[in-house]
Amino acid sequence: MTRWFEDIVVNEAFDLGDYTFTEEEIVRFGRLYDPQYFHVDKDAAGQSHFGGLVASGWHTVCVGHRKMVDALFAEEERLRGLGREPGISGPSPGVNAMEFKAPVRPGDTVRYTLTVTGKRPSNSIPGWGLLFNKLEAVNQHAEMVYHAELVGFSKLRDYRMPLRLRALTALARIPMIGKALRRGT
Amino acid sequence: MTNPVTKDLRHFEDLEVGEVTDLGKVTVTKDMIVSFAREFDPFPFHLDEKAAKESLLGGLASSGWQTGALSLRMLVESFLGNIASAGGLGFKNLKWKNPVMVGDTIGGTVTIAELRRSHHHPEWGIITLDFDVKNQKGQPVMTMRLSNLVELRDPAAPILETAP
Repeated sequence: MTRWFEDIVVNEAFDLGDYTFTEEEIVRFGRLYDPQYFHVDKDAAGQSHFGGLVASGWHTVCVGHRKMVDALFAEEERLRGLGREPGISGPSPGVNAMEFKAPVRPGDTVRYTLTVTGKRPSNSIPGWGLLFNKLEAVNQHAEMVYHAELVGFSKLRDYRMPLRLRALTALARIPMIGKALRRGT
Repeated sequence: MTNPVTKDLRHFEDLEVGEVTDLGKVTVTKDMIVSFAREFDPFPFHLDEKAAKESLLGGLASSGWQTGALSLRMLVESFLGNIASAGGLGFKNLKWKNPVMVGDTIGGTVTIAELRRSHHHPEWGIITLDFDVKNQKGQPVMTMRLSNLVELRDPAAPILETAP
């Protein structure tokens, strides 16, 4: 979440709220990114084993991501309201696993929950930590729609660059040396 | 029971492990990046050039979910739309390797990694696809392994276990 890496609590769960999928949105997303007949053509979809239109799994996942971003922004506001400085979230390096369990039909309401399952400092990017999150999406009948293992970056508050790196960064600011250093890497 | 929508498409029996499909290409514009980000990924580093320059991405780049969505679109147009697909099961090991910047053209291949029958549903097979998406410089952009259901032409055919 939008907290410093040090303040992220493993096993903490966040209710990201819910979202109702309309037929219009299901078809619009399908036409743009996943134009298989059961996502875009109501009549043809009736012939599929789904028996009607269903949302692209990628659509349900993109909405889940949006709910997560909204929750990050809300947490940022909450921290500012308490007079605390929020942390910094970075881009995600990937997703370990995503399983679609039940289709989403027009009118379905999906509730999203995020749970932090683990964290560790990044080996490749100094000053940043990796967060491991579980995202669960459940429909109005309490059926699991999908669950996922996500990975994200969060900045360390108390990171101090090692002396050698600080010296290199300072040297790199001098134009000639910076050029030579970059050529060397 | 034949599905009239898919009857003339390739079925599970027509597919082979190792088959490679060219995904085609798509060029990602600033408008595409910003409009997708507004809807699904409104972080400042996907919306605003200045914020993007100061971020880990180093410039305005598409949401990883947009890169995935565009890759999915290419997959449906080049392959999935031509087979008797019965829906996605999920994916594993999705890795965003390099950001997709404004003006980049992405493309690549998808390879059939595995084919197996479903034990619970004899009418379906499970296809596993490896994505390899690159930019115009040949740098890797995204890899993932996707699983999808495919209808069988002959569901009554015995399920043969392949040797381990």
